[in-house]
Amino acid sequence: MTSFRWGLIKQQMSVQFLVRTLNPFFLGLFVIQPAVFSAVGMLLSRAAGNSTPDLVYNVIGGGIMGMWSGLVFTSTYDILGDRRNGMLELIVGSPTSLNLIEAIRTLTNVLSGLFSLGLAFMAAILIFGYTFTGVNFWGVLISLVILLFSMWSIGVFLANFLAWSRLSGTFVDYLEMPIAFLCGFMYPIRVLPVWLQYISGAVPIRWALEAMNESLLGSFDLNYLVVHWLMAIGLSNVFIVLTSWMQAKVHDSIRLSGELSSI
Amino acid sequence: MDSFAIETKSLNKVFKTKTGFWKNKSKSTVAVENISFSVERGELFGLLGPNGAGKTTTVKMLTTLLLPTSGSASILGLDVVRQTAEVRKHIGFAFSSSRGLYNRLTAFQNLKYFAELYSLKNDYANKRIPMLLDLVGLADRADDRVETYSSGMIQRLHLARALLHDPEVLFLDEPTVGIDPVGSRELRKTIKNLLSLGKTILLTTHYMAEAEELCHRIAIVKKGNIVALDTPEALKRRISGESVIEASVQSSQVQMLLEKLKVMDRRTVVEHTTAAEPEKLSIRTPEPGKVLELLSPFLNPQYILNLEARSQTLEDVYIAIIQGDQE
Repeated sequence: MTSFRWGLIKQQMSVQFLVRTLNPFFLGLFVIQPAVFSAVGMLLSRAAGNSTPDLVYNVIGGGIMGMWSGLVFTSTYDILGDRRNGMLELIVGSPTSLNLIEAIRTLTNVLSGLFSLGLAFMAAILIFGYTFTGVNFWGVLISLVILLFSMWSIGVFLANFLAWSRLSGTFVDYLEMPIAFLCGFMYPIRVLPVWLQYISGAVPIRWALEAMNESLLGSFDLNYLVVHWLMAIGLSNVFIVLTSWMQAKVHDSIRLSGELSSI
Repeated sequence: MDSFAIETKSLNKVFKTKTGFWKNKSKSTVAVENISFSVERGELFGLLGPNGAGKTTTVKMLTTLLLPTSGSASILGLDVVRQTAEVRKHIGFAFSSSRGLYNRLTAFQNLKYFAELYSLKNDYANKRIPMLLDLVGLADRADDRVETYSSGMIQRLHLARALLHDPEVLFLDEPTVGIDPVGSRELRKTIKNLLSLGKTILLTTHYMAEAEELCHRIAIVKKGNIVALDTPEALKRRISGESVIEASVQSSQVQMLLEKLKVMDRRTVVEHTTAAEPEKLSIRTPEPGKVLELLSPFLNPQYILNLEARSQTLEDVYIAIIQGDQE
């Protein structure tokens, strides 16, 4: 049993912030992209005859969009960038497992996404004057923690998939928008066709987000919230199990094919 | 305790690539074929060979970055396939590349990160990193971002990184590539110091003088196979019966002189270098007297500007072996 490596967590998070997050591209991703999505959402809402923007699906939805995009792109660039600059070989060649590194990096990426969400909340309060009275505060908080866990479970799955092959990065680009649309970042899931709702049911983010949105809208329906939280946690665990199964295979596969390096 | 620091037995690596979208075609490329050698503890062992000979693939298998297709390899008695995690604790490696560091971080920050990957205690790392940066001559640039470094400085930082956890076995893949002569000399001095500390080093290089100066034994690799393995002196003795005569020749006279040399038997090999004026003929022969007799009448500025006989160097041996007229 190895001891808990606080030093590594601290060091890896600090490197991740300095190398990835504090980078004009990623700062733009966390700020500009959600702002654009929120603006489009608000314009559509106004076109539909609403006088004020929808708190959950326009303002906060933009923040969630920023969190998700940030996670997808940072996870992609973590592996592709490390493969391109030769770091992947050095990390894999060290006694620390790549899985642990990926877990910490993904956690950093998910937590960085809170910056986006924080900005969305600030915009809601300062620009649109929402007071958040009547909100189920604990419901929002618990849902947010579970949402972060759900995003992390998908992030580590993606990171391992990306490590598999030099070409895998191409496929990840297909995931960003479909997941956002499937999980109802900018509109309620119920507007989707039923068959798409079934598909979205397999993504843990959808359940955590629905619980958070309902709590923001003032719902205290504990049954509804607990079911959603459990679904999110259960499905996240499925992704974690899938990731564990994939990790050993990926580790051997990249060492067999020589795909640790981009050259 | 295993007596060898590094041991390989019939090591093979075949890369399989697939091409085509509808009809998959599989192509196999043999990178390393049946390589067997052993390196004693405290020995500096050189792997020489042309590009694509399989040197780096061999090093990557030994450093657990590649899985062998067949055969076995061990480091300090630990199997590189079955005891990967243990092997990684005992080895350090540096590849010839300006890649492999975070450019936006300083040298100190990069080393601090790797210190954590190698589970070094914070206090120990904080003492060791400045010491290593001093050893590789980067102490005064420790707090500068790596993106401001020259390729030689990056190479030296890689060596410091490889030494962070004080490994017993060190793999250096072309460590002096891109480093100026003064820097190369410093690095060779550092490598000798490491050797005096009892480290085992496997070095790959293209620089024969470097191999001759540093290596206790050398394996010459050609098309994935070891074609010669011995001490530098013993390798040179293999063709010690031969001498090398080098002639600086006016371009207009090269063909005429090549015709004259055709009377020599097939043991005499002539290499013609056209890169510069005057052109150069390098004649490797077991009969230097006969060659000198043939060429001496032309030793005047209209034909041959300079004629020089010298003994064999490791480079001559290497070229002879790689060109296939030995072994």
